[in-house]
Amino acid sequence: MNTKKEINNIFKIKNLNLFYADNQALIDLEVNIEKNKVTALIGPSGCGKSTFLRCLNRMNDLIEICKIRGTITFEDRNIYRPNYDVIDLRTNVGMVFQKPNPFPMSIYDNVSYGPKCQGIKDKKILDEIVEKALRDAALWDEVKDRLHSSAMMMSGGQQQRVCIARAIAMEPKVILMDEPTSALDPIATQKVENLIENLKKDYTIVIVTHSMQQAARISDNTVFFLLGKIIETGPTNKMFSNPNKQETEDYITGKFG
Amino acid sequence: MRAKKRRKIDKMIQSLIYLISFIGVIIFVSIIGYIVTTGGKLLSFELLTGNYQAKVTDIFVESNGDNYTYPSSENEYYSPRWDIAVKDSINKEGNPIVEISYIGDNSPMKKAKNLNDCLIGDKSFCSEYSSVNIVVGNSIKTVIMDDYNQIAYGKYKAEAMVKVLEKGSTINSMSIQKEGGGIRGSIITTIYLIVLTLILAVPVGVFTALHLKEYSKNKKSTYLIRSMIDLLTGVPSIIYGMIGVVVVIPMLNIIFKTNGSSILAGAFTMAIILLPTIIKNTEEALKVIPQEIRAASLALGASKTQTTFKVVLPSAIPGILTGVLLGIGRIIGESAALVLVMGAAIKDQVSIKEGSTTLAVHIWQAVGGEQPNYELAAAISIVILIVVFILNRIAKIIAKKMNKSWY
Repeated sequence: MNTKKEINNIFKIKNLNLFYADNQALIDLEVNIEKNKVTALIGPSGCGKSTFLRCLNRMNDLIEICKIRGTITFEDRNIYRPNYDVIDLRTNVGMVFQKPNPFPMSIYDNVSYGPKCQGIKDKKILDEIVEKALRDAALWDEVKDRLHSSAMMMSGGQQQRVCIARAIAMEPKVILMDEPTSALDPIATQKVENLIENLKKDYTIVIVTHSMQQAARISDNTVFFLLGKIIETGPTNKMFSNPNKQETEDYITGKFG
Repeated sequence: MRAKKRRKIDKMIQSLIYLISFIGVIIFVSIIGYIVTTGGKLLSFELLTGNYQAKVTDIFVESNGDNYTYPSSENEYYSPRWDIAVKDSINKEGNPIVEISYIGDNSPMKKAKNLNDCLIGDKSFCSEYSSVNIVVGNSIKTVIMDDYNQIAYGKYKAEAMVKVLEKGSTINSMSIQKEGGGIRGSIITTIYLIVLTLILAVPVGVFTALHLKEYSKNKKSTYLIRSMIDLLTGVPSIIYGMIGVVVVIPMLNIIFKTNGSSILAGAFTMAIILLPTIIKNTEEALKVIPQEIRAASLALGASKTQTTFKVVLPSAIPGILTGVLLGIGRIIGESAALVLVMGAAIKDQVSIKEGSTTLAVHIWQAVGGEQPNYELAAAISIVILIVVFILNRIAKIIAKKMNKSWY
């Protein structure tokens, strides 16, 4: 079991320190992300879980004052090596954001945007990709008749699922989700959670969430953050029933947070 | 008691606001009212499509001996011998003229011969004549009958002219004038100037804004450029006009072999004037675009360039359009700088390598001369108002369509 686990770690994080100017946001993180599992990142606001998530596809590059030390390997290659191709990384590690952020274009253009940027021009192939992505996102039946209407006209939940479909269309290996349901109502949240359940087969999912119930429902592994440090990692079942650390138990049972 | 007092003050302030806004409305209404009532009379299809220069043709006509009839109206004067009716009128420049108001189908005037083809305009030097098409609306400037004693000028008025016309059987020479004063040349010039200026200014402005907002990392240089842009927005246009004369015209003289002032020079100068506006508007439009949209595109593995041109720029189009619209308004309204770089000579044949006048400069010409022609100025103003109104509508419609995708 243990040796097999070693092979199945898609991300390996060692000694990760992150600074916003002089503020240290992440301190000595050491954690592995398992392949084809759902990993939930939990912790109170401002503990660095979103920051950590954005390290995984190097979205922190956009923030000028952000400095990173340590190594993150994706499929055994250090993504912070100077000549690592960021675009290649991001095609393999997709991302879904907290607020639904579809482009102001049609649903079809939204989903086909990524493949188009990779240089796929053939209309037939694009049609197939869009249909497959929307089917995988369980959205096809809802939108197949209005693929060319604006994505901005949809409901929040549908927009978020378009964003997931948009990420799936790239056929990434990992999908990062930054509180994908925090802006949605319970029914839309339910739909997105079902979707995550289905996506687990084909993709590795790393999800930041504020909801303990959500983490318990959908995740296989859980990482608990506190003040920029990882307090505890492990299988979700174990962590929620029998945590090792006192802080974890306090947070999960709602004593603070 | 206190509440009562407060209510009283509220009422007073309210009525004051109504009063002041009413004054504003009155000012606007009276301006538009003045322009429409003064210029409305003159505004016609001929004004818009007509030449500015009047065209004079000298003709020679022989009577066929018949007498015609025509039920002339009150202010018309009819000549049975020539089957034409004339009336006193005023041309677009405000001068009195004798205008032809009717020509019979069988009138001898229909067989008029063009003396301009002949040597020194005298029929004794001529054997072949081209025909002349005299139409209602032309005016008669002079008439010389066959015995050379009977001469009438336009200033004698229509009645006297008809009397002279009836006194002979041959018109030795008659000057027919196709009235000028049209603004077709100025309209075409304005369109040329708008198109050329936008071709020059929009790409440069948009790319500069993209650089400042999306690409530039050097805070100091962008700060410097931004403050210069802010400064340039406030510079009076006459200074740009001077720069046009000193820099643009000599440059164009070398590159395009123009000779002094030209529409091209006007376009370059206007492009310089518009650049700050277009840059600022584009930048504002780029600022409004949520950062998440850019992040979403980058997270999908799109490069910076793809993000900029496929997502950011299309989303900024309504804002860019607003800048372009403001720019067009400025081009239509500009006069001082254009007088310097495009001259003030009103043209009928417009060429971009030669000077010409836009509608605004045409107004300047009409009002600024020795005999100010306020009717013409007001008529052109109406044209400008209509054009600006239409442009506003179009831009709003496009912006609405684009914005639909945002909300």
